[in-house]
Amino acid sequence: MWSGRKSISLSKFCVLVFAVMLIGTVLSAPWLIRWFRPDLAEKKALFLSTIYSGSIPAAILLYCLYRLLHQIELEQVFITENVAYLRRISWCCFAGSVICLASIPYYFPWCFVAVAAAFMGLIVRVIKNVIAQAVELKNESELTI
Amino acid sequence: MPIIVNLDVVMAKRKMSSGELAEKIDINQANLSILKTGKAKAIRFSTLEAICKALECQPGDILEFRE
Repeated sequence: MWSGRKSISLSKFCVLVFAVMLIGTVLSAPWLIRWFRPDLAEKKALFLSTIYSGSIPAAILLYCLYRLLHQIELEQVFITENVAYLRRISWCCFAGSVICLASIPYYFPWCFVAVAAAFMGLIVRVIKNVIAQAVELKNESELTI
Repeated sequence: MPIIVNLDVVMAKRKMSSGELAEKIDINQANLSILKTGKAKAIRFSTLEAICKALECQPGDILEFRE
């Protein structure tokens, strides 16, 4: 039977899969670039710098996502810690977007990744605002005697 | 907050302990402590009514507005 707990476990598993994919991408970046665009071999260093610098916010984002899911699993949803995690996730998306924006001059398709990352950051930011408000309401209701 | 809770003063006047009041108004001691120490953000009318009944006082005896 499907349950909320299993859903969280599935989400955690997906985060771990993405973490493995990230590690795989970082480790095999030089080969990936050669395989993906053999014609852009001369820009390999630029691609590598984008991938390596982008992997830092991606790793932080995945860690925060995992911690957030762990807190939800512990039924600690509306707490300030989760608001902080969501804020960090949002900033990581924006950081990834900036890195992709900076990479547009040598490879234009990074533009689409930049827009997608910025949009994702915006959505997470709105969710963060909602959760922050919910935390305030929860604290208030808990202190209503 | 400019609203001061004088519950401890009224309780002292009526010589009623926290445990006794908590039992009479049917709330736990932790919540009564939150109310007494002024940490509460709001008080329900039902709680206020129960306190007034138990301590034989008016809401104004318990709550005070100070600028």
